[in-house]
Amino acid sequence: MTESNRQPTADAAGLHERASATPARSEAPRPALQGQAPSWAEGKLGLRAQQEWFAAIVSTPESEAPPVDERSAARLVTPSKTLGSLERLEIYRRGYHARLIECLADDYPVLLHALGEAAFETLCRAYIARFPSTAPSLNYFGRHMADCCRSEPLENPEFAADLARLEWAVVLGIHAPTAPALGFEDLSQVPAERWPSARFTVNPSLSILRLGYPVNGYLQSFRNGESPALPGPSPSTVAVYRTGRSIWRLELEPAMLTLVEALAAGETLQASLERVQASLAERPEAEAAALVSTCFRHTVSSGLFSALAL
Amino acid sequence: MANRFGLPNLGIGLGLRTVHYSSILQDQPEVDWFEIISENYLRTEGRPLDFLDAIAARYPVVMHGVSLSIGSTDPLDRTYLSELRALRDRVQARWVSDHLCWTGVAGRNTHDLLPLPYTEESLAHVVERTRAVQDFLGAPLALENPSSYAQFAGDSMPEWEFLGRLAEEADCALLLDVNNVYVSSKNHGFDPIQYLNAIPFDRVVQCHVAGHTDHGTHIIDSHIGPVIDPVWQLLALAHRRAEGVPVLLEWDAEIPSFRETHAEALRAREFIGARP
Repeated sequence: MTESNRQPTADAAGLHERASATPARSEAPRPALQGQAPSWAEGKLGLRAQQEWFAAIVSTPESEAPPVDERSAARLVTPSKTLGSLERLEIYRRGYHARLIECLADDYPVLLHALGEAAFETLCRAYIARFPSTAPSLNYFGRHMADCCRSEPLENPEFAADLARLEWAVVLGIHAPTAPALGFEDLSQVPAERWPSARFTVNPSLSILRLGYPVNGYLQSFRNGESPALPGPSPSTVAVYRTGRSIWRLELEPAMLTLVEALAAGETLQASLERVQASLAERPEAEAAALVSTCFRHTVSSGLFSALAL
Repeated sequence: MANRFGLPNLGIGLGLRTVHYSSILQDQPEVDWFEIISENYLRTEGRPLDFLDAIAARYPVVMHGVSLSIGSTDPLDRTYLSELRALRDRVQARWVSDHLCWTGVAGRNTHDLLPLPYTEESLAHVVERTRAVQDFLGAPLALENPSSYAQFAGDSMPEWEFLGRLAEEADCALLLDVNNVYVSSKNHGFDPIQYLNAIPFDRVVQCHVAGHTDHGTHIIDSHIGPVIDPVWQLLALAHRRAEGVPVLLEWDAEIPSFRETHAEALRAREFIGARP
């Protein structure tokens, strides 16, 4: 149990801004596929109906024909000197998808690397069709990615889902409330007789992930500039949380997990430490006691707690 | 001509972007003001607000939104407006702006600035909603002319007339994006000078400049690269009509270092001091 397995996540991860610019990927309109003339084609549309029509075209997956043909489109949108009506609409359709794919790529850079650009983009397009945004902010748009990984035909959906869960925990850590990290200086103020009944408040940004694949190591290799091979299954538990402006990923060994979960559940320090001690019953008593002590110190020094109640 | 709302000339500002957070906080550069994208700081309690609080404590901030959806036929989102107002009060934003557009309908948000048909129906709709937003905020709202790639067959007036009438009838402020004027003028084949001639400059509280991407058949408002000279010339013209109006550079793709981005913004000095 050492400090070295606490790893920071790159500072800007998950923080790409949404802007008023049109995504560069919406650039050149391809010749649009021809759709069918809709039923309203001969009628006059009010503002509401025009917006529903426009939104339906914009959000139609780019692999499909738009729900309108050129002649019908021209009844609502004029051609320019250089572009037909459908081509002009195509700019918006491409922009809509490109912006949301960019957003998901910002939230899931390592998943993008793992799947490759083409498979990631296919996954994103499925995501956009299944989970369209209903919020003014895109901060939580990507929250369903792990579910999407499991339901889409990926080569290794469980690995992808675990990686998505880890990357999403980083995003959650970014947006979670900021809280001070409890340190040893704070603890040194506590009278010895109050220790057994002390209760700890966990860092509000903390996510604990039980993972079937070693995706934390994979993510770290990527951050180190390596091109890691996709690993086989190997269970692990990872804590993701933020102290100040830094996001941390910490692999939790079983004793540490027991301690953190007991304290997070509101148990007293004494009860929590006894629980850890009990989990080490097969070890010699002195070794177990030393491990419990190390476990507690490591948990505190990692910044997993934000407050203490006596 | 100073604006009729008494909003201050903040000088030459920059759109605040995350890639510049560290250098801004570390170097504390001399920048007149920053414009934030409002939605980046909504629905978060964490690090984005930590950075913003630190920057707002040092620099004047203006809020620029992308999800007000003033032209949508969905009801106004009062929760969003409450969040917007709370953020404004938190960072003491000098004013709040958004775009003359709609972003979604039937509860969905495309996060794109979609064009409105410029009709009497649209005008009445947007005027009513702009008034409602201003009542909610207790302050003038500045609406920006968007870049657009499509025009509606049913348009009964040009964009500049729509914008001018909207500003007068809703008594709102305008954010004049001269790059958007340029982009739309090329995409739709109108004269940008004619556009500027129709703008009620006493309502213009801010100007935007930005780069764009010219594809030959059309121009995309990509906010990439430096500002081209014809856009600077439009700024010079606008600034002569709205003397003292603050200017802001938006740079959103392939963003260079803070120093380089700021240097590009400061090029505005060459044009806003110019006299015919």
